[in-house]
Amino acid sequence: MRNGERGYFFALPRLLARVFGCKARCAEFSGAEAHGVGMLVFTMVCVLLGRALWTFVRPGWLQLLFVIVLPLGAWITLLILYSVNSLFARLLRRLGLYSAPTNNPLQHVVIIAVLTLCAARLIGDASVWLRSLGIFWCALVGLELFALLVLKIRHEE
Amino acid sequence: MKVRRWFRQFAIRGVFWRRYLDFGVTNVPIYLRAVMIFLWSNFFFLIATRARRAILGNLAVILPNESRLTKYARAWLTFYHFAWTIADAADHKLAQTEFVYAVEGEEFLEQLARGRGAIVLTAHMGNYDLGAALFAQRYRREIHMVRAPEADPATARHLDQSLERAGVGAVKVAYNTSATALPLELLNALRAGEIVSIQGDRAIAGVSQREARLFGEVVRLPDGPFILALVAEVPIYPLFIWRSAFHRYRILAGAPIHCRRDGASREAAVEAALAIWCRTLEHVVRPNWSHWFSLVPIFPAR
Repeated sequence: MRNGERGYFFALPRLLARVFGCKARCAEFSGAEAHGVGMLVFTMVCVLLGRALWTFVRPGWLQLLFVIVLPLGAWITLLILYSVNSLFARLLRRLGLYSAPTNNPLQHVVIIAVLTLCAARLIGDASVWLRSLGIFWCALVGLELFALLVLKIRHEE
Repeated sequence: MKVRRWFRQFAIRGVFWRRYLDFGVTNVPIYLRAVMIFLWSNFFFLIATRARRAILGNLAVILPNESRLTKYARAWLTFYHFAWTIADAADHKLAQTEFVYAVEGEEFLEQLARGRGAIVLTAHMGNYDLGAALFAQRYRREIHMVRAPEADPATARHLDQSLERAGVGAVKVAYNTSATALPLELLNALRAGEIVSIQGDRAIAGVSQREARLFGEVVRLPDGPFILALVAEVPIYPLFIWRSAFHRYRILAGAPIHCRRDGASREAAVEAALAIWCRTLEHVVRPNWSHWFSLVPIFPAR
């Protein structure tokens, strides 16, 4: 594709671009999506992992070490998740229930679904910032689903 | 022996990592790639000691008088861009992902596509695999790509299959070894009007090479492309492709270099063409140093 064309993976920026009169199609050209959403998802994984394990880490120095190695833990968690999902995809392919050329669409659905379920639980958390993060995530997913629905109704990709 | 061979796949240039990269591009959603590539770049920056030292040494010549920290930061950035580049190539091959590209020197690219027989001279810079595949697809021309042989045979097989799949069979890979059959094969291809792509920024043992001055240092570079151009009477097109942003590439096609005798000796003609190539390399590499994936020492040790 030649320079100047807009393409977004998510439906929300595609819909917003069209609302503001720009042409945008379903493609993976946006660095903001790749870096911005990636950072958000990774932060969510770090927060959820940290929250789940924080109670088991007692002495102060160990808590500091825990915070430092948390991104490494999130990375390993994601690597395990990709592997488990790929086995799930293989099973679905054998059963004839999944036929996309790559496992990316399935991985996307599973990762976002798992994170949304965890984020929904954050909404009831005592901490204000964790609650805010949960609400922010759920609102974003809600908006994305809404944009997807609008584009579907308008028969646009 | 079997155990050693099994462990060899996990070496830095082993096939395990190439296969894992394929797993990554077919299993990691696009929005998580940047984070994953960042983390893997750190991992390889730490363990790929030889490649890191080579990059540090090469960058010290291109950008001298830098602080130690800046040198390491620049070497890390080169690793990061290398990771993105090979991930994008795998992505194109396995998922037919589209990339946005901007072309500079389009007229030379058109000339190259229309011409009968030419040598594309490129460097270990950016995504030359993806570039060859894109060119072959866009202009429906077959390319003979000459590569330095991979240390690991399984990795070499994996890369061959990848390239041929990405170029939908239009990219034929040949290995730059000391074998005498290859130059004849390339000469025949050029005389038949085909395009031969060669990387001209690194000379490996056993192939024809000579001294040249690059970034003020005396280095040994392959002279095979220039001798071939002289014998086959075809032009040499400098061509570079590097990543400019996320899923965006910049293609730079330079004016053709003609290696002709014009009354001078053969040696003088080759040396003159090699000198033009060195100036072209300097002109392209200096501002794009983080896309020059010279993972072996190019310049003599100081």
